[in-house]
Amino acid sequence: MFQPQSAYAFYSPTKVLSGNKALENLPVELDGMNAVKPLILTTPVLSARGMEKIVASAFGDSNLTIGVFSGVPPQPDLRLIRELYGLYRDNGYDAIIALGGGPVLDTAKALNIAVSGRPEDLESLASGNPLTKKLRPLAAIMNLDLSGCEMTRYASLGPLSLTSPALIPDLMIIDSRTVPEEEQKTMAATALMSMTQAVEACLHPARNPLTDAYAYGATRFIMENITNVMRNPSDRKGRLALANAAFFAQTSFDNLAPGMVYELGMAMSRSCQTNPGLIMGMLLPHFLLLEMRKETTDRKDLYLFIGGPEAFAGTMAEASSRKAVDRIVEILLELQSIVADFPRSIRDLGIKKEDLEKIVAQGSAAGVRGEHDPQDIRNIMEKAWETRF
Amino acid sequence: MNHYKEMQPGSKPIKRAYVALMLWFVGRAIEAAARVDGVVKAEFDGLSPGFTFSLGVMPQGPTMIVGKDDQGLVRYRGWDPEGQKIDLKMKIKNLEGAILMFTFQESTALATARNRLIVDGEVPAACAIVRVLDIVEVYLLPKLIAKLAVKRYPDWFFGEKIRNRIRIYAGAVFGL
Amino acid sequence: MDLPGYYEYYCGVKIIAGHDALERIPVILQDLHACRPMIVTDKGVAGAGLVDIVLGAVKDQLTIGAVADDVPPDSDLRVVNRLAALYREQDCDALIAVGGGSVMDTAKGINIVVSEGADDLMKFSGAGALKRPLKPLVAVPTTAGTGSEVTLVAVVKDHERHLKMAFVSYFLLPDVSILDSRMTLSLPAAITAATGMDALTHAIEAYYGLSKNPLSDATALAAIRLISRNLVEVTRNPSDREARLAMANAAALAGMAFSNSMVGMVHTLGHATGSVCGVPHGVCMAILLPYGLEYNRHKREAIMGELLFPMGGSDVFAGTHKEQRTDRVIAYVRQMNQDLHDASGGRHARFFKEVLDREGKPAVPRGRLPDIARTALGDGSIFYNPEDLDYDDFLMVLEAAWEGVALDSGRIRK
Ligand SMILES: [Fe+2]
Repeated sequence: MFQPQSAYAFYSPTKVLSGNKALENLPVELDGMNAVKPLILTTPVLSARGMEKIVASAFGDSNLTIGVFSGVPPQPDLRLIRELYGLYRDNGYDAIIALGGGPVLDTAKALNIAVSGRPEDLESLASGNPLTKKLRPLAAIMNLDLSGCEMTRYASLGPLSLTSPALIPDLMIIDSRTVPEEEQKTMAATALMSMTQAVEACLHPARNPLTDAYAYGATRFIMENITNVMRNPSDRKGRLALANAAFFAQTSFDNLAPGMVYELGMAMSRSCQTNPGLIMGMLLPHFLLLEMRKETTDRKDLYLFIGGPEAFAGTMAEASSRKAVDRIVEILLELQSIVADFPRSIRDLGIKKEDLEKIVAQGSAAGVRGEHDPQDIRNIMEKAWETRF
Repeated sequence: MNHYKEMQPGSKPIKRAYVALMLWFVGRAIEAAARVDGVVKAEFDGLSPGFTFSLGVMPQGPTMIVGKDDQGLVRYRGWDPEGQKIDLKMKIKNLEGAILMFTFQESTALATARNRLIVDGEVPAACAIVRVLDIVEVYLLPKLIAKLAVKRYPDWFFGEKIRNRIRIYAGAVFGL
Repeated sequence: MDLPGYYEYYCGVKIIAGHDALERIPVILQDLHACRPMIVTDKGVAGAGLVDIVLGAVKDQLTIGAVADDVPPDSDLRVVNRLAALYREQDCDALIAVGGGSVMDTAKGINIVVSEGADDLMKFSGAGALKRPLKPLVAVPTTAGTGSEVTLVAVVKDHERHLKMAFVSYFLLPDVSILDSRMTLSLPAAITAATGMDALTHAIEAYYGLSKNPLSDATALAAIRLISRNLVEVTRNPSDREARLAMANAAALAGMAFSNSMVGMVHTLGHATGSVCGVPHGVCMAILLPYGLEYNRHKREAIMGELLFPMGGSDVFAGTHKEQRTDRVIAYVRQMNQDLHDASGGRHARFFKEVLDREGKPAVPRGRLPDIARTALGDGSIFYNPEDLDYDDFLMVLEAAWEGVALDSGRIRK
């Protein structure tokens, strides 16, 4: 673990506040960034679940005025950003607080680009021109219904893909009141997405001591908490650990190029409208088995991440990679026994055999950037389709 | 626009009142402790003449102020920082943080470790004041709670110290 | 891995590492919208040819506005103001700090003056005084130890008014830190050893301290692993580039760990010994580190035992019973000091009575220990130490560290 990579770059500009009464630190943190009037963005669902009230009450006694927009749809678009732009400008907001996963962060990041410059900057960034202005403060309040890109440099808005390190939120709050119990399958999908990001980071050829450190934190927290939380969703500390793991995994992922399982999962999710985290969970063991056959020396320590120091040190070096895969499969089997209608293969997720060839073509053309042999991809996908755990 | 509203999140009067009461109590207890406890007195003697510090909640109180007067005696100086020269400001970042501290769910050490306080002023003075607060806590709190509040419960707490506790309580409550 | 009830973590510094990382400075500055940096450094660094290496790496691609190579070993307000004036005269738009702790502090001080248009730096001391980003600052550390390339504190001394001003703000963090093996290749063995032990102390105190959290833990473990594998080696063999880069990485990782989890009594006593007797910081750290472990052990036994994994590796860890792991960790640190002592031809001190000043006289006379213990009472790092210490406790630790004997566990009040 923690091999010094001879050349690397690493960047994580987010300040983390995690735990008891973390939300109540929002006013003081905003003040430190010279912001006094935040606009909270969230979804109708989260608002109906009372999340927005909890965040608003954290501003009690702070003397600040806040705005709440609770209409973020599952597929935000440019028109929404233009409307929010007017609202932000006209009412004198100076910071954004994103409460929720995926679309909320996409909206928040896009809005932040618009209000820090002009709405036209969105198209300009999407067509490859860098941002020239420092963005306004952006805080994210994490939960366990995540897309995997919340705390990264990526955002998408309809057809626009936005990528810039400036999009990474300045602040991340993890507070048990705003990490509520989600459906088991949703939480499992989020954890498997994090697991995939972290495992691919520690197998990545360009891994460095910092991506290792974040991937280590992510895998340890997931392995120690995933089944407990599924069995007992009221385990608050476990949910917080999984939310922390999601952030660590996203940060290691954000500092390396996306891995093959991640890309395939995203491609399949797009073409079959299925949750990407569950797909990645089904692909991961098959990918690892294939990797193991390639015998690359710096992959020997995967079991340290998966099993922890005690288990790793107590295992013979030759058996260690195999143990790592076994542990992941064990977790998937446990999830099957706990989570109602948890998939046993990608076939169970509604992916058709005839779609696979299409995804192989897509995956090797666009997503996977030609680093992986199409034959490998085909192999993994067929295994994940045919084999049931 | 639908789904949009602007609001002024309200205040928390009961929590504020509780913290204000506790601060008043601790402020007067420090004054009394400086009279009866040699170690507390020595800590204050080591600070500059007229040294004054405040302990309060951001953004706008409640606050308590304690300082040395012209004779070098330690005095509780009320709640209003207006017009007072304050050498050391200890500010709890928000009301909930203050509630955690004054309901003894978080000790001073834990609150510091969790970055709940902002300290503005000379570090050696801050160290001295934290030691004073620890001693006052040992006097004011039952042993079971105080053991959680300080890193190491002192082994000197018997005999004369028990009598001091009564005098500090009397000072804090009745101003005796 | 443990999740504390509450924690905060931040390190917004972009890390660029490699054997030729300096070559990326022009692109980095371009990303930061700057094109005319001022280089801040000291005579020692410039004399060792390190500024020339930096200049060589950026040649033709960048106009250097000014090179200021006269930062004193102790940061000074007058120097900060003079160099800020130079920055303005030369129309610079960014700072590149090449050096150790004092150079970093000075560059951070200059940055406050030139960004805030300040005439009195004092106005910006204390927490929360800075509210907006400063000018771009690129840090190029030339020792592997202090971690100041990733810390948010700057200390500037006003020698005329005998004041020490501390500035604390996220905006003081460098935008980018460049870890390039060429910057530490010429570091003498004794300094390599002492600064490396400073980094090890940062990681270990962060790992058992009261503000430990998952990210400070992960960065601390990585740092300890790298230091255990490379410090003795690089002290023996100073021109080992891989080991130099590993140590530069380790120091930055340890810096991230301790700037978020803080340090404890080893630093409390180290700062005090430094200010009373003028002993270099790293030397104090090496000597005092075993005592931090021994003194706090009863509160942190299991956590300290975990350190045997990054220190000793898999086999040692698996082969040592849980109850014996902390003993092994402490023995390991002492052995490391012994190995560094041997590798540096006896120049790396193992205990205070062995430390000599420039004239070769004992730098820490036994009679000064009470002064050091008294000074320690005023150092804020003690807040983050698991166990409390009063004057008597400080003195007990200092006496053991002077003599070089283990702490008598019966005398540690629990
Ligand atoms: Fe240090």
